[in-house]
Amino acid sequence: MIRVALVGNAGIGSQDHQNSMYRPAFERHPRFELVDTAEEAEVLSIAVPLAERGTAVADAIRAGKHVLADKPLAATLAEATEIERLAAAHGVVVVPAHHQRFGAALRSAIAAVRAGRVGLPWNVQCDFVVAGGDPAPTGELVNFGLYPVDVLRALLGLEVHRVHATGTPDLVTLLLDHEHGVTSTVVCGRVPALRDVPPGGLAVHRYRISGSHGVLAVDARKPALQVRTTDTFGPVWTGPGTVDVLLDVLAAGIAAGRAALGPHDAVQAQRVIEAAQRSMAVGQPVAIGQPVETGE
Amino acid sequence: MDRIGIVLVGAGFIADAHSGAIDADPRATLIGIVDADPARAAAFARKQGGIRYAPDLDTALRWPGVDAVILCTPNDTHAPLGLAVATAGKHLLVEKPLATTLADAHRLADAFEAADRVLVAAHTHRFYDYGRAVKQTISSGAIGRPVLVRLAILGGWIWPDWSAWVGDPERSGGHALHNGVHLLDLATWWLGGEPTGVYARGRKQTAAELRIYDYLEMVVSYADGATAVCEMSRAHRPGSLAQRELLVAGTAGIVEQGWDGESSLVFGEAGTTTVPAAGGNGFAAQLGAWLDAIGGAAPAMPVADAVRAVALGVAVEESIATGKPVAVTA
Repeated sequence: MIRVALVGNAGIGSQDHQNSMYRPAFERHPRFELVDTAEEAEVLSIAVPLAERGTAVADAIRAGKHVLADKPLAATLAEATEIERLAAAHGVVVVPAHHQRFGAALRSAIAAVRAGRVGLPWNVQCDFVVAGGDPAPTGELVNFGLYPVDVLRALLGLEVHRVHATGTPDLVTLLLDHEHGVTSTVVCGRVPALRDVPPGGLAVHRYRISGSHGVLAVDARKPALQVRTTDTFGPVWTGPGTVDVLLDVLAAGIAAGRAALGPHDAVQAQRVIEAAQRSMAVGQPVAIGQPVETGE
Repeated sequence: MDRIGIVLVGAGFIADAHSGAIDADPRATLIGIVDADPARAAAFARKQGGIRYAPDLDTALRWPGVDAVILCTPNDTHAPLGLAVATAGKHLLVEKPLATTLADAHRLADAFEAADRVLVAAHTHRFYDYGRAVKQTISSGAIGRPVLVRLAILGGWIWPDWSAWVGDPERSGGHALHNGVHLLDLATWWLGGEPTGVYARGRKQTAAELRIYDYLEMVVSYADGATAVCEMSRAHRPGSLAQRELLVAGTAGIVEQGWDGESSLVFGEAGTTTVPAAGGNGFAAQLGAWLDAIGGAAPAMPVADAVRAVALGVAVEESIATGKPVAVTA
């Protein structure tokens, strides 16, 4: 069993992903056991306020701990880049909680696209729209934006070199230019509470991947049953939980010394988010530059 | 009441949709057909039971009983032919776009205002069942103030061959003017806001030698902070599976129609195709609204909106060419 200590129970705004997501997932996972102190633990599950997160993760790495980090991994690209460097230097596994890419429909979609089922992809359209819940004081671009950006990266295996962002902090549209002339558009944010969508639940989460030889339309809210009662109408998820799969990845990464999802993924997502913020500020497309230079 | 006598100009495939609408409306009658190809004009006239035909508009404008013209000719002819219709004192329903340049769009608008005749551009999606249903839902206040439109029209047919005028940007104005204006107008009509800027990307997916973009991503920003993301595509494969998707998000709810929201599906040996549900005739509704306006009603498709659609289409082409956002002023 891999020993895990929970560090912090805060996030952006009123979030407590530690107790709503990570704790129950660790408790039910067959490869992990919770311990009371960081000293006893091999893994730290870090969900401290975003402003403190980069420092907390860096300290854990220096202490030789593997890390599961709430998303975003850090508040800035510079911090995320430093965490990537530190993790490599200290030989520990750091998994950022980009768990949406592990949705059952998306995992199949990623495999299908990478296997050429639609030919060479040339465009992806995505909607990631949450209904209700507490608005993020940072704006939803910082809160949610990395999820679809991370999924796009997993789907295409291509980096983003140019970003144009428009809309509002609550509901933003990202227009991304990837390598090889591939384009994508992401609508991401929060709309008011909707009947039969749990507060903070995904009202729309879909991807359309257009390729030279076909189109793959993915409703990432599947697989699900549609359950109707006298009072309600809504989906019941039937696939494995995305956080459960995230912990599978963490356990496998610890065993192998390298995880399928790591700080580099967080760095690349953060580049896009920060470019989008700059684009929103200047009203123009922004080219993503060279990696930020850091050093310890 | 006398029927409104109409001349159709251009005997291409869309003329059948307009003549069918005329046949279905007791207020209108088809007087004749004009086409630069006399044989095609004659064939169309015979099919319509022997109506008049001519190879030029000037001749047709002198036929007795002509009150109005429906123009279905290549886009670059809309301005000169439309101005001739205004000069003759006839009403005009012109296929979209109103014109291929903003200057020509204003010229037409001014000419018809001076002639006190009704000018309507055929933004037919406003009259399709789905277009009206979304507008009515928004107008009812059910979703609050709309802040986002996502509209995609994908697949379907592709240009017939390399000689097709729609593939010539000089004649069609480019795909943003030819088909893109449908979405640009519809989204703007739904939102009810004033467009302030456009950012667009285009792609020549079917063939590198295309001179127009067969895939358009057009993002419009509005003065009230709303956004419209419009995709127009003849690039998606298979072309046999036409898709239309829409999402409108408001401050109190959302409206969605998925790609299969209006169609049944056929899973056949040749693949999967859609069977769209039977519904209202958008061309007939459009014609009816034009006839209403000729009778004095407020136009359902105001000239200013048609001019604005041209401004948006021109901005899309400019944004694609420059790679930058373009400010919009109609």
